[in-house]
Amino acid sequence: MTRRHFHGIALASLLGRELRAATGAEHVQHGLPGLPHFTPKAKRVIYLFQSGGPSQIELFDHKPRLTEFQGTDLPESVRNGQRLTGMSASQSTFPVVPSKFKLEQRGQSGAWVGELLPYTAKIADKLTFIKTVNTEEINHDPAVTMFQTGFRLGGRPSLGAWVSYGLGSETDDLPAFCVMISTNGGGQPLYDRLWGSAFLPSRYQGVKFRSGGDPVLYLSNPPGFSGENRRGFLDALGELNQITASEFGDPETAARVSQYEMAFRMQTSVPSLTDISKEPASTFELYGDDAKKPGTFAANCLLARRLAERGVRFIQLYHRDWDHHGGLPANLPKRCKDVDQASAALITDLAQRGMLDDTLVIWGGEFGRTVYCQGRLTATDYGRDHHGRCFTVWMAGGGIKPGLTHGETDDYSYNITKDPVHVHDLQATILHCLGIDHKRLTYRFQGRDFRLTDVAGEVVKPVLA
Amino acid sequence: MSGLQSTFPLLLALAAAARAQPVEFNRDIRPILSDRCFTCHGPDATHRQAGIRFDIPGSAPSAFVPGHPEQSEMIRRVTATGADRMPPESSGKAKLTPREVDLLRAWITQGAPWQPFWSFIPPQRPEVPAGRSAIDYFIQTRLAREGLHPSPQADKRLLIRRVSLDLTGLPPTPAEVEAFLADTAPNAWEKVVDRLLASPHYGERMAFRWMEAARYGDSNGYQTDGPREMWRWRDWVIAAFNNNMPYDQFATEQIAGDLLPNATLDQRIATGFNRNHRTTGEGGIIPEEYRVEYVADRTQTTATVFMGLTVGCARCHDHKYDPIAQKDFYRLYAFFNQIPDEKGFTWNYGPEEPFVKAPLPAETQHLNELDSQIAAAQKDYDALQPKLRAAQSAWEAKLNPKRADTWTPAGDLIFRSDWVKSDLPVETSPAGKALQYDGKQFLEANGEAAVFGYLQPFTFSAWIKPETEDGAILTRLDDFIESQGHGLYLMKGRIRLHLTQRFTDLGLRVESVNPVKQREWQHVLVTYDGKRLARGVKIYVNGEPQPVKILFDQNTEPFNKKNTPIRIGAGGGLRFTGAIGDARIYKRALDAEEAAAVAGQTKARLHLEFLETAAPKDIREARARLLALQSERDKFHDSISTVMVMADGAQRDTFLLKRGAYDAPGEKLTPGIPAILSDTLPLDPAQPNNRLTLARWLVSRRNPLTARVTVNRFWQSFFGFGIVKTVDDFGSQGEWPVHPELLDWLAVEFMDSGWNVKAIQKLIVMSETYRQSSVATPALLEKDPDNRLLARGPRLRLGPEAIRDQALLVSGLLTDKIGGPSVKPYQPAGLWQELSGNNGYVQSKGADLYRRSLYTYWKRTIPHPYMMNFDSPNREQCAVFENRTNSPLQALDLMNEVTFLEASRKLAERMMTEGGATPDARLAWGFNVVLARRPNARQQPVLLKTFQRFETGFRADPKSASEYIHEGDSPVRPGLDPAELAAYTSVASLILNLDETITKE
Repeated sequence: MTRRHFHGIALASLLGRELRAATGAEHVQHGLPGLPHFTPKAKRVIYLFQSGGPSQIELFDHKPRLTEFQGTDLPESVRNGQRLTGMSASQSTFPVVPSKFKLEQRGQSGAWVGELLPYTAKIADKLTFIKTVNTEEINHDPAVTMFQTGFRLGGRPSLGAWVSYGLGSETDDLPAFCVMISTNGGGQPLYDRLWGSAFLPSRYQGVKFRSGGDPVLYLSNPPGFSGENRRGFLDALGELNQITASEFGDPETAARVSQYEMAFRMQTSVPSLTDISKEPASTFELYGDDAKKPGTFAANCLLARRLAERGVRFIQLYHRDWDHHGGLPANLPKRCKDVDQASAALITDLAQRGMLDDTLVIWGGEFGRTVYCQGRLTATDYGRDHHGRCFTVWMAGGGIKPGLTHGETDDYSYNITKDPVHVHDLQATILHCLGIDHKRLTYRFQGRDFRLTDVAGEVVKPVLA
Repeated sequence: MSGLQSTFPLLLALAAAARAQPVEFNRDIRPILSDRCFTCHGPDATHRQAGIRFDIPGSAPSAFVPGHPEQSEMIRRVTATGADRMPPESSGKAKLTPREVDLLRAWITQGAPWQPFWSFIPPQRPEVPAGRSAIDYFIQTRLAREGLHPSPQADKRLLIRRVSLDLTGLPPTPAEVEAFLADTAPNAWEKVVDRLLASPHYGERMAFRWMEAARYGDSNGYQTDGPREMWRWRDWVIAAFNNNMPYDQFATEQIAGDLLPNATLDQRIATGFNRNHRTTGEGGIIPEEYRVEYVADRTQTTATVFMGLTVGCARCHDHKYDPIAQKDFYRLYAFFNQIPDEKGFTWNYGPEEPFVKAPLPAETQHLNELDSQIAAAQKDYDALQPKLRAAQSAWEAKLNPKRADTWTPAGDLIFRSDWVKSDLPVETSPAGKALQYDGKQFLEANGEAAVFGYLQPFTFSAWIKPETEDGAILTRLDDFIESQGHGLYLMKGRIRLHLTQRFTDLGLRVESVNPVKQREWQHVLVTYDGKRLARGVKIYVNGEPQPVKILFDQNTEPFNKKNTPIRIGAGGGLRFTGAIGDARIYKRALDAEEAAAVAGQTKARLHLEFLETAAPKDIREARARLLALQSERDKFHDSISTVMVMADGAQRDTFLLKRGAYDAPGEKLTPGIPAILSDTLPLDPAQPNNRLTLARWLVSRRNPLTARVTVNRFWQSFFGFGIVKTVDDFGSQGEWPVHPELLDWLAVEFMDSGWNVKAIQKLIVMSETYRQSSVATPALLEKDPDNRLLARGPRLRLGPEAIRDQALLVSGLLTDKIGGPSVKPYQPAGLWQELSGNNGYVQSKGADLYRRSLYTYWKRTIPHPYMMNFDSPNREQCAVFENRTNSPLQALDLMNEVTFLEASRKLAERMMTEGGATPDARLAWGFNVVLARRPNARQQPVLLKTFQRFETGFRADPKSASEYIHEGDSPVRPGLDPAELAAYTSVASLILNLDETITKE
């Protein structure tokens, strides 16, 4: 697969496109020939995935009339026979419950942002809120899988894998696709398939950066085996493999040598990447003190910026536990507190460094939540079930028009009234910002040309800069 | 790299061949039409444009005018620009290359002869000159046509390593290598091959790939991804390969073993093949949506593995490329859609029905022993019955006639309402004191005695005299109906048990068919056996078992409700109007006689009371022995592993599902095979239209696909690529076989041999082709980079399982045990927790750390990172294609994972103790153990120099040396110098990281 690193044998005639990289000391992994398809606005992506389904009603989708509807049954004309999850489908009533938390219009753009997200509110003018994201999926596993792979069941490559397959890497020292998961504990499980490469070659899979143990699995030399030893080891390995290459003439041998060298560079570059001790105090003022605690969302946002600075193509964060079927008034504020300051800080930080222009940042979950209460509605407590028919995702940075609110929903935040944006549309738009025509980034598997957006997807032009 | 891109050089080679040979429709033309035209002009009727199709002949006569490319519309359109161009710009499909246009022209010039699709025509055995190996004949004939020559035979050392890794997944031992070198007999090679084919490790090696094809996993695969037991199926596969079960039988038993006459347990276990798919227990799912997925998965897996067809493409619409209509997909699907009561929303923590207990021989023996002990104990007890009756009569005669008849079972009684103080109005029930409930007031008690989850048995009972039709009798849950917990209710006059995890979708609900009487005293009692299913609930009224109706049966999630009281006359938001007496909770399921005794039936009471309190010692002992044995057997039976299996008989109608959607049924369909295949080989009409008939059709001598697809996969396992590279696609988008005659010859030979797997594999490894040297010259690399033409032997990176197993073997760590439950070798801490919260990985200990990799526990949502780094399919769905990539993560893994560090150290210990006296000897010894040959004159100095460098370093730093040699659980061999051992460990690790080591050469 990486024959392009081999210098000893004339492979020029094998694959024309491999030629470009087959000479010189260049190691950076190129993407596909002809990509990007057009001039990209964004070079990289940071995806702040909020797993579990944050409520759009409390956070972004302001619905003043809900107060007036409070406690009334969701009209059948609104629900319109739509399928519900098995958790609330057999409820006898669907009492409407308004947000317990205030939403206000923020910034020049007047975007609505809930009081639980005060930091996000301050940077509202830098963001584009898409209020009409929608999905057919009503349960976590298929819905998250849909968002991250374009299909509801496992078996397709993830968004980050597609991007690194198509565009290659901009760094020689780090993987093109890095994944970080907050260690906040609870919430719905995640699955390796969400950053997997499926039928794409395995080197396009996301590499997890972990807050405990080795930051990258198996990165550290064992105790007692120094970096200097490792260098000597690799020199000997290179020498012996060179002998093998000369005996067997197999280009894979030289490719293997270059992969070992990249491994060695990662051993140096990853610790320096994760060492935030030299970040100035202002960084922690911006991101909050949480950023000093490994594994928090804030620490991961800071690392995301550091990865972006080092040329990583796709940086995927996950923060779990937004699944508020019950106890929403008590628990939603906690999740907001986990992520609000750091999400905003990341945008501000990237902007200050001039990187927001070519970094696309996305914030959102796999679905939203129902306007009606799930389970027991009491004076102080309520819950909301999964709602895929409309929910809010915000985007910012490379290729996106800032300060925009796109799409409209009905008075119940139940149905879309204008400009729906399906998951596949959002994915097409993300690829578009990266200079990729989502219909032309394909891979043939079992006789079919697969793509991220399956057989659908339209770029959401109004949100583009 | 996509399939198309990587075949590109080969296509050039083929095109070169085309110049020398006539153009052939199937090889040269159909792929072009399929790739560029079929989407709009192919089998899919819905999207067909202008009514023109090129997958059958004659649809558009003007497109191809035989002999006249210049008059052919096809040539005009594919060379046109602008609006006339085909395929149109808007399709996103690439314009035809000049070479492709040339091929089309040449074919039309030849008269445009059309051919039916090759893989749907049964294979015929091609002629082979007498005395020649067919494999070598076809390979070498093609090489000669290409102006290439076969390579000389590989060195014997490389050869024995190659074939050992190929047939057993393990390298040869030095003794095996030496024996082969010393054997000058003409059949020395054959002896090695026969030995390996007879090795029990052969079955393990073959099983691993089959497990990938069969998407075997030790977990369910969605969301919470709980554990399942399917390892008995895996062990069935190992044994089948080791016993050289004929492949037609192997296929038949896995597809339809349950339908064979007098199916054995093993034949039922085999059908686990089609239950290996993922299942979900995610709360809130729509069950039918997922049940449809399971059926579709079986359909697709069966089609891929046995037919090499991508039928999944026809799930939502007619196939775009192959003559498989959507209807064909659902007819095939219908075979797999007949599991009775199949659940879509499944249990996440164990087997979902249907499943069988699959005792191992020793377990069966123990069960038989217990059964005969029970029979003996029963006989003893039965023999005492006359004595018992006499003694009981005598005892009864002596009872005070005025005695109150109050005896009830006391064992495991954990709650009685009589134990609770109350100021409710008192009334009298047949059992004594009762309380009146006015529909508002109720009795409440501490509930901590009765904390039951979803798998604990219990009994709830009470005397009731209802005044209304609805009310709560005895509950332990919060006081609203959705609350988690357990409740015995009266609803519409009927007795109801609710066991609720989440009211809307998790729990069970059972009610009596007949209403109880109003305003009369009667005793109600419910038992739950703790075995999860609603059918484990029994309802008794006045001690008589009642017919019941299962209202809800989805008791699949654990719970542990705390801080909830027991209530009598209330709970779940309901109140009771009437009277309730002697409400009880037992922490086990009472049996029918006990239920009758609690209900006050004299006969049962006297019998039980006598047995428990007054019977002679021998009777009591005989009874106790019988009960103890029965309980022991139950426990033992519960501990036996299960396998989910196939079953038929649901009488479920199958419909075409529009757009593939579970809730959009269309036309009703009967089971059947794709029409394109049934034309030439219909299903046997004399047989029932079921899976068994399908299986027999698949392995019929005239089936065009099964044998070809199978030998092609075998070929892939030896040479890295199939003769048809797209091992999972023998359709129109698949690759034309690079050696079509050889493929057909092998397929026919395979069938004629009685589907003899070992025999066909032996033929392959006995060939000169297989035994060639794998050295690639620049000229060969240029002409045939992927080695599809086989002018040299295979040189391929080993699969993940072989790389690890090899390290375990050469270090002496490998545990040589075949089969058994999956094990959990080393894995970095926290991997499961960080994704799924609370499910920790409990690492195995001792010998189980060193089992072969096919036994490594496979959690589908978080597979072992080592396996994934080395390109293992993720077992989410059927995978038959072998991937080999090269990444820095693989390098980090081999250098730093404890498995390989420990193996390095153990190999180093062997080098120091078995490898001779000098560093040179020891290094060469270690190299030889791994690679079956000694280091050559260029390698040896590098090894020595490296050893010396490390030795110097570790001597100067004993602390590091000591740390470095303590990786892994195995103890360090005593008596070795730590610095020296650390240095040898470093070189051993170096050897295990060599390109050669992880490569089959």
